[in-house]
Formats: sequence, C-alpha cells, structure tokens
Amino acid sequence: MPDRPLNRICYVEDDEDVQRIVRLSLERVGKMTVAVVSDPTQAIATMTEFRPDLVMLDWMMPVLDGPALFRQMKLRPDTSALPVVFITARASQRDLDELKSLGAAGTISKPFSPKDLPDQLRAIWAALP
Amino acid sequence: MAQTLLRRMNHTTTANGSDTGLQVSTRAVEAEIRDRADPRQVLADRVAQLYRQMPIAIGATFIAGAIATFELQGRWLKELVLIWWAIVVTFSAAASLLLYAYYRAADKVGSAPQWLRWLGIAALGNGASWGLAGGVFFRSLSDEQQVFLAFLFAGMASVGVPVYAASWPIFALYAAGILGPFFYVLLTFGNRLFVEIALLVPLFYALNVAIAYRLTQVFHSGYRLRHAYGKLTQDHRLLNQRLERQLVELEEARRQVEASGRKLALFAERAPIAVIELQPDGTVAEVNHAAEILFGYAADELVGGSMKKLVAPELHEEFDRTWRQLVTTRESVPGVKIRNPRRDGVELVCEWTVTPLVNFQKEVIAVIAQGRDITAQLEAERMKKEFTSTLSHELRTPLTSIIGSLQLINSGVMGDVDKEVAELTTVAERNGQRLLDLINDILDIEKIESGKLTLAPEVIAVDELVRESMVLNKGFGERFKVRFASHGDSPERKVHVDRKRLLQVMTNLLSNAAKFSPEGGVVEISTEDAGPSVRVAVHDRGGGIPEAFRTRIFSRFAQADSTATRQKGGTGLGLAICKRLIELMHGRIGFEDRPGGGTSFWFELPRHPA
Repeated sequence: MPDRPLNRICYVEDDEDVQRIVRLSLERVGKMTVAVVSDPTQAIATMTEFRPDLVMLDWMMPVLDGPALFRQMKLRPDTSALPVVFITARASQRDLDELKSLGAAGTISKPFSPKDLPDQLRAIWAALP
Repeated sequence: MAQTLLRRMNHTTTANGSDTGLQVSTRAVEAEIRDRADPRQVLADRVAQLYRQMPIAIGATFIAGAIATFELQGRWLKELVLIWWAIVVTFSAAASLLLYAYYRAADKVGSAPQWLRWLGIAALGNGASWGLAGGVFFRSLSDEQQVFLAFLFAGMASVGVPVYAASWPIFALYAAGILGPFFYVLLTFGNRLFVEIALLVPLFYALNVAIAYRLTQVFHSGYRLRHAYGKLTQDHRLLNQRLERQLVELEEARRQVEASGRKLALFAERAPIAVIELQPDGTVAEVNHAAEILFGYAADELVGGSMKKLVAPELHEEFDRTWRQLVTTRESVPGVKIRNPRRDGVELVCEWTVTPLVNFQKEVIAVIAQGRDITAQLEAERMKKEFTSTLSHELRTPLTSIIGSLQLINSGVMGDVDKEVAELTTVAERNGQRLLDLINDILDIEKIESGKLTLAPEVIAVDELVRESMVLNKGFGERFKVRFASHGDSPERKVHVDRKRLLQVMTNLLSNAAKFSPEGGVVEISTEDAGPSVRVAVHDRGGGIPEAFRTRIFSRFAQADSTATRQKGGTGLGLAICKRLIELMHGRIGFEDRPGGGTSFWFELPRHPA
C-alpha cells in the first residue's frame, strides 16, 4: 500500500459527458485533483507534466485505444510505473482477464456510480503493493 | 455336381498335363457318369428287356413244339410225344401267366431280382422240355428225324441268345436244359460220328454262353449309360430352372438398383447443396448442378482435375493431410469448414461432409463430398456478435452519463435542489437504472443461450455467499423497507460454482422478495442440506404467485402484473437468467407456497466435498 493518500488522477477519455461526470465525482465527492485528456495521443505528454498518482484509461477510443496507450506507457520510464485503472463498457470476463494480464491495477465497468467512484479508486490504490 | 465333375476334370488335367492325362480323365469322366446310374434301375431295365423278349420265346417254343410233335409222332411213340406236347403247352401257358403277372405288377424296380428268378425258372423249364425231347425220343428216331431234331435243338439254342441276352446265366440255364440231355444221348449212342458231334456240343454251348455274356455286358453298360444320362439331363434341367429363377431375381435386383441409382442421382443432381464425387486419389469424378453454380465452374472443367482447385492454396497441405487420414481411416468426416475459391477468385466458406464409399474388400472406391455455402451464415453470425458488442458499448456509454449526472444531483453533491425537481431526477435515475438492468439482462441471456457464457467455478462456502449477497442488497432492502435475515448457516457447506454468477442469482431472488414483501417485513434466507445437494431458499411474505403465472414464471419477459413492474422495476428476465445460470452450475431452481402466506424461491447445487 502506497504511503500517501490517493490524490492526483489523470483520466483519458474521449466522451466529453463522461469526462465531466468523472471530474465532478472525483473533485466534489472524492476531493481529488483531476487532469482530463480527450486526445489519447496527448495523454503521455500530460502525464509527464501532471505527474499523477494513478491513471484512468477508457478502453474504446478512436485512433489509440486504452490497451494500446497502456502499452506505450509501459515503454517509457517516466510512465511505466504508474498504476492504471481501466474504465470500460465492455464487460465480458475475457475482456477483464485480458486487462488484468496487461498489468492493470484494476477495472471499473461503465456505467459506474459517481457517488462510489472515489471509494472504488481508493480501494484499488490501497491494494497496490 | 457338375462343379465336382469339372473340378475333377481340371484337377486331373493339371495333374497330368498331357494327352494321356486327358484320355485318362475322359475315361474317368465316363466312369463317373456311369456310376451315377442307380444299379436297381439298371437291373429293372434288364429284367424288363427279358420279359419283352418272352413272347418270342413262348411263340417260338409253341410253334417249334407243334412242328416237332407233328413230325415225330410215329405209331409207338404217339402217346409219349403227345405227353411231351402237353408239357410244352403247360410250360408255355405258365410262361404266359408269368408274363401277364409281370405286366400287371406295380413295383417292377424293387422286386426286379424276384422277377429275374422266376424268369430263370421259366427259361430252365423251357430248355428242359426240349432236353426231355432229346433224351427220350432221339434214340428211337429215324436218321432223318434225328437230323431234324438236332437242327431244331441248334435253332432253339441259337434263338435263346438274343432272347435271353440281357442275362447270360438265364441263357446258360436255358441252353444247358436243351443241350445237356442231348449231349449225353449223343455221347452214349455208340456211333463214332455221334461221339464227335457230342464233343462239339459243349464247345458250341460255351461259345453261345460267351456271346450271351458279352451281350449281357453290352446291355448292362447301355442301361447304365441311359440312366446316368437321364439323371444328368434331370440335373441339367433343375440347374437350368434354378439359373432361370436366379436370372429373374438378378434382373429384378438390377432394376431396383437402377431405380435407387436414378433416385440417388436425382437427389444429388437436384440437391441444393454441392455434391462432388471424388476418386480415392482426390481427382474429381462427378459434380452436381449446385456445385457448378456455387463455384462457377462447368462440370467438365472440374471433372478429371484435382479437388484442390476448389481449396484455398494455403490450405493445400492441410487438405492433403486430412485426405490421407480419410482414406486410411475410411470414416466419414462431418462439418469440415474450408475456404473454397470460386472461379472468379472470391473465397467462400463451405461446410463439408466427406464420406468415403468402401467396397466389400474395405477399399475406398470413391469419396462423396457434400458442401454447403456458409459464407452468409458466418457473416450473419459475425454481424450479430458485432451488434451485441455495439449494443453493449453504445448504450452503456450514454447511460453512464445519464445515470451518473442524475446520481450526482440526487446525492446532493451538486448542492440542494428544489424538492419537486429532486423527485423528478430520482424518477429519471431509477428508470435509467432500469434501462441499464434490461440491457445487462438481455446481454446475459443472449450470452447464455448462444452458449458463449463461460463460468469461472471455484469452491465457496455457501453461508459466506449468502452474507455477501445480503450486504450487497442491503440498500435495495432499505428502499422497500424490508430487512434480510438468514438462518441455518454452516461453514461446512461448500459448493463448486461461479461466485459472481451465483451472487447474480441471489441478488435477483433477494430483490424480487424485497419488491413483493410488505413494508417492514423480513425476507428470510435459509440454508440446508438436501441429499447430495445444498438448498438455499429465500422466503417472503408477499401476495404469492398467481395460478396462471406459475407455469411461465421462469420464461423470458415473464411478469405477473405489469402494474407491479412499473411501480417496482424489473425486466422480466431475472428469473429466466437465474434458471439458466443454476442449470449451468448443475443445479435446479424452483418455488413453493410458504405456509402462512408468501412464497419460497429455492435453488439446489451439488455439495462439494469439504
């Protein structure tokens, strides 16, 4: 378990409405600091600059999907160690297993409850080594 | 029989392999044919031949006897000659009676030896009557009369040869009867010439007997051949009849085979699936019309060529392997999916059933391949899958925004809202959630029914799962002002199930019970052993299940009362999903009325050995 509380979240998501809800949930309910990225190709640059505690990735995005972005992150020393939580509307067991095998710290399925989202993330954060 | 003969012939021919060998074999065949005659039949024929000659013997004796009587009666011999004549007539009459009896006899074959003996006696009597004439009259006759009598004896003895030729012993008796006394009289006459003549008599007798013997052999052989050939002819006729019958049957069988062949050909020709007949080496022997249309080749473009023309090039190696296996095992291979290029280069996917045709020697003589174009079907399946996936993603994403927004407002995070507005946003959130439940349920049931749901079974303690489900559904219970209570817990009860899916079942049962329980009620959850299974039951104090609804309660979109649904939510798929999930986990599910009102829904799962 990390020695500090979860505070800084970087969220990569192409759907602006979901972005807004997640931002409100994490900021208002969870009292966290959030950086939202709409364009996945800009995500790594934002992460390098923002230095988040945890990254949330949407699975299905145009141009660069979540798993592909995750693989890119793994190749870079400044992002490879960041814990990643996938947020996805695809909920088959196989998909979830695939995400785990990629090394994801956790998964949250859509639709999620904005009331419970911060607690879900904190639970994942607490389970980290 | 003919076969045995031929086999013997063949055998001897190959054994000797020369002209002499052939001669020997021909003789052997003749002997064999003769041996096929029934000896009883042959004897009966000879006896019949003898009796047929009897009228000649009787007639000759009578006429010769009459002439002799007329010629020999002198004054002092008159009585003796007349007595002799009476004896001859008596013998002739007896012989005639014998002849008559023979012709009247029913069984001439079985009693042939007896008839032969009677005839022998008659012949001996006939001969002896002439011998009597010689012995008694000869000495007293004049020279001319002696010559006459000697001539008569010689004639009568000679006539006996053809008459009794069918049996030489009878001739021998007959002739001995005539010549025996005559020989004695001549020998004792005291005249040198007569002694010389007497000495010639036995020689003459022996010659005649020898001739008779030879003739008897000829008759015997002749009759044997006659019977043998008669039997052969009969066999031949029977054989012919049998052959004819078999020919008729064969012709009928041929007609039937031809008819079914035509029927089969018609099936293959008109079948909507491609039918290709292949030789054991994979060469195309025949194709039907559907195959021509499917692959765009005319039949003569395919016939004689390799089947590989219709197989995607990168699959050729696999095709060869499969083909070798097929020809070796000689077993039909159903449901082989292969990409098959059409003449225009477009690749189809066909499902083939390949059946080797095997002859009696277990050799593959042909291979029949029946193929169905499943390209469109596979495309439809792919589209359905894509649609399901799209439905899942495209519907959930906007719902995330809708439900999320409403939850943020309703939870008060966004600050206080007007009471009436809050009521409306609560309605909106609840219905958004309902829509989401429906989508999830539809996806679930689609996954279960298409067999795509894979379970991840693990060993879990039933009471832990019950407790977890109670915690999970606490909020739901609170909404309907219902409390959950469990009893009968035992950590010993374990089951091997998919934890998440069993929780889904529990959630369904608990939320149903909560929905239909009166406010302030208690929903009880009991766990108990039921034989080799563990039984979990959820008991409510609701209004019970209406009679008309009981039979379809586990069907899709089954809801007893649509008013209740509108008021309390629910998709009508929950119990259908529960039933399928429990059955996938090798259990069973059901419900019963609860004593004192309400309903108990239960499921049973096989207990896992602790």
